[in-house]
Amino acid sequence: MNETNGPDRDLPQMEEGIDRLLRRSMAAPVPALPTDFDRRLMQEVRLRKQPLDRYRRMLLGGYGVVSVVVSAILMRSERLDWGVVFGTLLATIALIAITRPAWRARHAINKGQ
Amino acid sequence: MALVLSESDAQLVTRAQSGDEQAFAELVRRHSALVFRLAVSILGREYIPEAEDVTQEVFLKVHHAIESFRGEAEFRSWIYRITFNQAVNLKARARFRSPHGDETSLHDIPSAGPGAERQLELAQRDQALAECIRTLPEVYQSALHLYYWLDAGVDEVAELLDIPPNTAKSYLHRARQLLRGMLREKGHSCE
Repeated sequence: MNETNGPDRDLPQMEEGIDRLLRRSMAAPVPALPTDFDRRLMQEVRLRKQPLDRYRRMLLGGYGVVSVVVSAILMRSERLDWGVVFGTLLATIALIAITRPAWRARHAINKGQ
Repeated sequence: MALVLSESDAQLVTRAQSGDEQAFAELVRRHSALVFRLAVSILGREYIPEAEDVTQEVFLKVHHAIESFRGEAEFRSWIYRITFNQAVNLKARARFRSPHGDETSLHDIPSAGPGAERQLELAQRDQALAECIRTLPEVYQSALHLYYWLDAGVDEVAELLDIPPNTAKSYLHRARQLLRGMLREKGHSCE
């Protein structure tokens, strides 16, 4: 028991009994993290970061390309001009680029902020 | 490395947000022990290996979400909040499974011999106390474990639970009052 957490001098007399009881019943070794925890954690961070990012980017990139091609084909099949097709696709891409940072900020784990 | 050590959490977070792994490693070094203590205080003695898993999961989440951390709250308050939620969720799930072992075991008490009856009585009271503690709100349980088991001072309890020190004192006071009442109802004295 360290000095900061010794018997509380301000403790009301009626709580002294339960205070002693709690100290006695909770007396047990204080657990600590393994000494190599930080190193193992950083290994895990690297492991999760690299392959996942590469995989996600490839998947998203592929999906994006397929979407653009399919959209262009469909629009052309409806006899739209190439100008309208390009304009629509570029406007959609621009909209995604603008709204993505705001979307990410909203969905982040910021409950504590 | 010396530069990293002298930097504040906010500076390290900014660097970690731009992908600096060394800065993130320093944040882990600074906060991992306290995150683990908070997790242990919520999960209790039966779940120490799970508290280590929670600590790892918290930092993996933080790493994943650090780019979106806006710095409106302190970094440590943010990670302690994530830890609290993560540990409470795990504890709720774990309640459906059987724990690794109880906090006190009546089987360890010798059944005969001098003082055996007194020892059994004390063990029963300890077990009743452990049961009463489990019925308290999570923040009270955590405050009690931090203070009485993990040797945390009131200031550390307050920091980890993200409350003012006076509130931490009042949580401990209220928890003791509730436990006294519950033990009395179960027919145990605190003396």
